[in-house]
Amino acid sequence: MSNKIIAFCCEHSAYLAADLAGKQGLHYPENVRLIRVPCAGRVDVTHILKAFEKGAAAVLVVGCEEGACQHSTGNTRAKERVNYSQTLLQEIGMDNRRVEMVNVAPGAPHKFVRIIKEMNEKIKEVGEAK
Amino acid sequence: MIVAERKPMEEIKQMVAPYKKLLLVGCGTCVTVCWAGGEKEVGILASQLRLARQAEGKEISIIEATVERQCEKEMVSELRDKVKQVEAVLSLACGAGVQTMAGMFEETPVFPALNTTFVGMPEQEGIWTEMCGLCGDCFLDRTGGICPMVRCAKGLLNGPCGGTRRGGKCEVDPEKDCAWVLIYRRLEKQGRLDLMKKYYPPKNFRAVKRPGKIQAVKA
Amino acid sequence: METRIGIFICDCGGSIKNIDFSTIKDKIAKIPHVVMVNLASNLCLDEGKEELLSRIKSDNINRVVIAACSPEFKEHIFQQLLEKAGLNGHLLSMANIREQCAWVHEGDVTGKALELIRMAANEALLLEPLEKREFAVKEEVLVVGGGVLGINSALQLSRVGLQTILLEREVDLGGENREFEALWGTDMSSMVKAVEADENIEIITSAEIMEIEGEVGDFSVRIMKGAEEISRSFGAIVFATGHRVEDIAPGLQLKDNANVISQHGFAQMLQASTTEPGPKTVGFVLGFSDGNSRFSTLATLNNALACRQKWDSEVYIFCKNVEVDSEGVENLYRTTRERGVVFVKYGDFPKFSIEKGVVKVEAKDIFAGEEISLTCDLLVTDEILLPAEGTEALSSLLSMKMDARGFHQDENVYFYPVASNRKGIFFVGDCRGNLDPNRALADVSSAVMSAYELLSSGKVVAEVERVKVDPQKCRTCLTCIRVCPHGAIQLVRMSNGDTDGENEVAKISDPACDGCGICAAICPAKAIKFEGYSDKQILAQVEMIGAS
Repeated sequence: MSNKIIAFCCEHSAYLAADLAGKQGLHYPENVRLIRVPCAGRVDVTHILKAFEKGAAAVLVVGCEEGACQHSTGNTRAKERVNYSQTLLQEIGMDNRRVEMVNVAPGAPHKFVRIIKEMNEKIKEVGEAK
Repeated sequence: MIVAERKPMEEIKQMVAPYKKLLLVGCGTCVTVCWAGGEKEVGILASQLRLARQAEGKEISIIEATVERQCEKEMVSELRDKVKQVEAVLSLACGAGVQTMAGMFEETPVFPALNTTFVGMPEQEGIWTEMCGLCGDCFLDRTGGICPMVRCAKGLLNGPCGGTRRGGKCEVDPEKDCAWVLIYRRLEKQGRLDLMKKYYPPKNFRAVKRPGKIQAVKA
Repeated sequence: METRIGIFICDCGGSIKNIDFSTIKDKIAKIPHVVMVNLASNLCLDEGKEELLSRIKSDNINRVVIAACSPEFKEHIFQQLLEKAGLNGHLLSMANIREQCAWVHEGDVTGKALELIRMAANEALLLEPLEKREFAVKEEVLVVGGGVLGINSALQLSRVGLQTILLEREVDLGGENREFEALWGTDMSSMVKAVEADENIEIITSAEIMEIEGEVGDFSVRIMKGAEEISRSFGAIVFATGHRVEDIAPGLQLKDNANVISQHGFAQMLQASTTEPGPKTVGFVLGFSDGNSRFSTLATLNNALACRQKWDSEVYIFCKNVEVDSEGVENLYRTTRERGVVFVKYGDFPKFSIEKGVVKVEAKDIFAGEEISLTCDLLVTDEILLPAEGTEALSSLLSMKMDARGFHQDENVYFYPVASNRKGIFFVGDCRGNLDPNRALADVSSAVMSAYELLSSGKVVAEVERVKVDPQKCRTCLTCIRVCPHGAIQLVRMSNGDTDGENEVAKISDPACDGCGICAAICPAKAIKFEGYSDKQILAQVEMIGAS
């Protein structure tokens, strides 16, 4: 059983927000593993599915706020891919709440902390990974 | 280019349900270009199948491979060793690819993971539209290079129906252009509107002999 | 060559307290390929750096893992150190055990730190060196549009020492805003003279761009001047192609009436008139353009004031809102009121009719709550500001998108105020929908500085093949070319390895690539590798979850 969350974090926003959370001494649950990506648009369906195969209980793709992507379409594409992976999970009978796209600004550590906590709440509902 | 899309997961799951060792074979040509059966799609489907089995508590081992063109015997034969290791093959290719695989490895069941839908072209990334109905009797010369057989909802060959909407849209689907309006405008640009007045008898679909076979003149 | 990983762990001067470093050291020493583990207290200070340098050399390390603060913080410093030790700077993988581990969790986090280090070490196994290369750039800039902003751009570019070509579609320089000289605080004729006299500036008028190819530092542009074809290369391009004005708002039924005039027409009339008495009563209408009406507000206030001063006319401004957020406009608005201009704030749009050569305006002032009926000798209407003609064609020429209103540069304005999504291409002022003179002039300075920064050294430095299309795997589906937000991918003919044949495949330009990885994610043939963020490197990290 695993309750691990893999969070693919855009290095222009979410990764910085996470760093800031550390600097400000905020706290969030320990079960999240951040993977730095150059843009949320780098994250693909294959990465998300592989994360589940490797035992993740949930996957977050965290990119810039809408309209603020450094690469103009990266976060919107990521959103589409996350939606698609939700469909793919549903097809095989998995709860599609396990994967989610969230937008976080680089200066929003509280929002980052909140989404990690919210995802943990969801894991309680949908169950840990087998 | 041949355009295909993945079959519903439920159907695929049922096809491969009895097997524990699978080979997933993608094709590097048309279906890669239409995002249905390239290396990436093979990976996605493999992941899905593994996760599905994991959830059911059953085991599965999947080999992933992609060949350049699955409709070529020589290219498919590279897979011989891999096919030997599995109980069934799931082919992510058009119907021609699936049949080539099935013909090459007769002892192993080969299942289609895709539905081959049409011959089309990309409109923008991720969107393909049907362009050719493979009728075997091309008449694009008379219609300004626009095929009403597939692009008109009713497949009309002699001008539009009475239902063309304002702005040249189709009666059946207001999102789509009326093929005959497009044809008229194209011919107008070329000064060949007289072609619109010509009558063409119903199309001879007997031109398509099943199974089709073409033999090029040998040099 | 054998992979030898050296792991350096830093407790950041003792600020990491909830990790048991000795346990970690014992455990990670057993990871395959790890040849040394070093515990330090201040890896980023001189002693720590020296230790790192000497250990890399003495232990013959060829992949470095540093577990310390966030890579966003000091990654570049450690990369430089690697280079100093004779290793490629890219062969470094960092585990963020401070900001994203020790500092955000309470209690002992040794387990998580260990996992983060394992993730980094597993990624490090797959890292490959990345070389940097200098790409020569043309120290020459093309400025498109000979209006006030184009001329300003050219003059400023010349001042910073860049050769400039100023391209204008019309026969003369000056552009659309000649009538509004006062708003721009400039004297157009002397500016035109200055630009003509400038040695660094070449002016080409009556010419249009036919084709733009290439990338930052080397755009090859084909220009047609009548039948003459001019082909030149530029390091950067500044577009100041302006906007178009729709005279009188449609639906008003007032077009072609002698008593109704547009802002531009009125400004011309003001300039032309010398002594004859002007119209007695003048009405202005504001509020046709939804969204950005800064420019029309400014033009209306200026015209209204000038009209009071010159002819002493009675002036009414019918408006819904007065947008005063541009610099100085609040004051201008106040002055206009003080000089006796009457503002009528309407709720529903006023009704207009023409009777015996005078225009009748009926409106309800929502503050006074009164119906106001006014006859005026001249009605000056707001104009609709639209994208210049050819905006769409130019956008497709550049493979760029337009914004919702059809202006250039549908981009992240926070990151790219003037720069576009393509490196080396800049949009200034009204062609990107920024119609307020002060802001537009700020655009010019900002674009000039960016161009200077880009070109003045004669080269740009970029990593070679950081994102690379494998020509053997590329199926030429054009997907990457269509989705690249930076226009950095082109179709090229490439020799196909050992065969003589030439294949058409996608190729990513190193200087133009901004490293987002959208192409690598979307490629259906998995033919694009993004070194540092490749599929394998990402999955190497994913694999390590739960392994401790």
